[in-house]
Amino acid sequence: MLPLIRSEWRKLSTVRGPWLLLAAGPLLVVAGITGLVQSGGDVHDPAVQSKALAHVALAALFTLIFGIFAVAGEYRHGTVTDTFLSSPGRGRVVTAKLAVYAAVGAAAGLVSSAVALAVTAAWWSAKGGSYQLSAADSWRTLGGGVAVNIAFAAIGVGIGALVRNLAVAIAAALAWIALVEGIAGQLVGSGLARWLPFSASQAAGRADAGGASQLLPQWGGALALAGYAVVFAVAAMVTTLRRDVT
Amino acid sequence: MSEVKVHDLTKTFGRVTAVRAMTFTAQAGKVTGFLGPNGSGKTTTLRIVLGLVRPDAGTALIGGVPYDRLASPRRSVGAVLEANGFHPGRRARDHLRVLADAAGIPRIRVDEVLGQVGLAGAADRRVRGFSLGMRQRLGLAAALLGDPQVLLLDEPANGLDPAGIAWLRGLLRGLADEGRTVIVASHVLSEVAQTADHVVIVSAGQVRFAGPLSEIGAVGNALESAFLKLTAPTG
Repeated sequence: MLPLIRSEWRKLSTVRGPWLLLAAGPLLVVAGITGLVQSGGDVHDPAVQSKALAHVALAALFTLIFGIFAVAGEYRHGTVTDTFLSSPGRGRVVTAKLAVYAAVGAAAGLVSSAVALAVTAAWWSAKGGSYQLSAADSWRTLGGGVAVNIAFAAIGVGIGALVRNLAVAIAAALAWIALVEGIAGQLVGSGLARWLPFSASQAAGRADAGGASQLLPQWGGALALAGYAVVFAVAAMVTTLRRDVT
Repeated sequence: MSEVKVHDLTKTFGRVTAVRAMTFTAQAGKVTGFLGPNGSGKTTTLRIVLGLVRPDAGTALIGGVPYDRLASPRRSVGAVLEANGFHPGRRARDHLRVLADAAGIPRIRVDEVLGQVGLAGAADRRVRGFSLGMRQRLGLAAALLGDPQVLLLDEPANGLDPAGIAWLRGLLRGLADEGRTVIVASHVLSEVAQTADHVVIVSAGQVRFAGPLSEIGAVGNALESAFLKLTAPTG
């Protein structure tokens, strides 16, 4: 297993694309928190502070796309043939990818968290607001955000393995987040809609989810998201083992 | 010992039968030319031997073992299937290190094979800027990485210049003379006539001829006329 993990890591560390993609996460956090404050967010309201830190979970959009590249990117460039020649045990390849991509997803989440804390602190002191969100809720929000980044990376690996066509996989994932989940939510009603993946990720990334909002409580969101990650990982494993690589 | 034995192999994609009851053996110490028109099932057969495609029936064994049961596949079998299995943004040396990592092959082999295929000077260039011939050489380097006893090459001369083709011929000859099993799928008959000891001629997924090249005759256009006769559509 270790050689495959080392190989997957080297695949990532020897090209630039994935890192440019992941760098977009912290940039989104900076822009998002800045936008929140500039559009009149009340710097004395703890809920606004929570909302600021919750941008870490939104940045997981990029770890999702990052994860999609793991398998679909190999089909795109034809490197998948060499990968399976090195390891005919394809289940081990997918496992190694899940491990490496989840670890990098965690690192991306941690970087986004550090950036979120710094940018929030900077804006709050610039605007003379007092930081009133409790330490426990701050950490829970950031911890949830990191967990979402990990889960989305793993879900991305699964989507890429299922769909294999890189452009279709990315388009489908983005369409789901931007459009389809909203429509599906209206069809199934708000009780069930809270369990849909993007909604669950929003809950997992907020310590004060649940409450008055339309979201699950944080632990519920995290649990639902973990469930999706497992389902996609298993689906990736099963389909990858069976398919012909032509 | 490290012979490649294909027995009664059949594979259907949808309604197309790509390979039909194919049987042949490629011996160690010989270059076996695997010949057939486009779409005759050559590549599918190679992919089945390599465990990438699952056959509907039949077996493909390497030294008596299916590919996915080999203890360390890259040390037993090297393959070049397409000249384009590279990430364009990755450097040549890094491409090989990715493979060496996965197979537990020492890093020193990477520079050895880069030298062997004449890419030492391009090792730190991104594959994006490689010509087709250079990509073929990099693919060959990947195949040689594990110093395997069996080599499966699909159109390896594709994109090579005349000097490259002469070099490849010498390389394959040398590898076979060391006792390795070398299978070269191609439709460049004149090239195969100069390199191969044995030929397997297939058409429409079936073997039409398997035996020593000398039985066909490597003189002049003997191979070409035999090939055209054997692979002609049968009404």
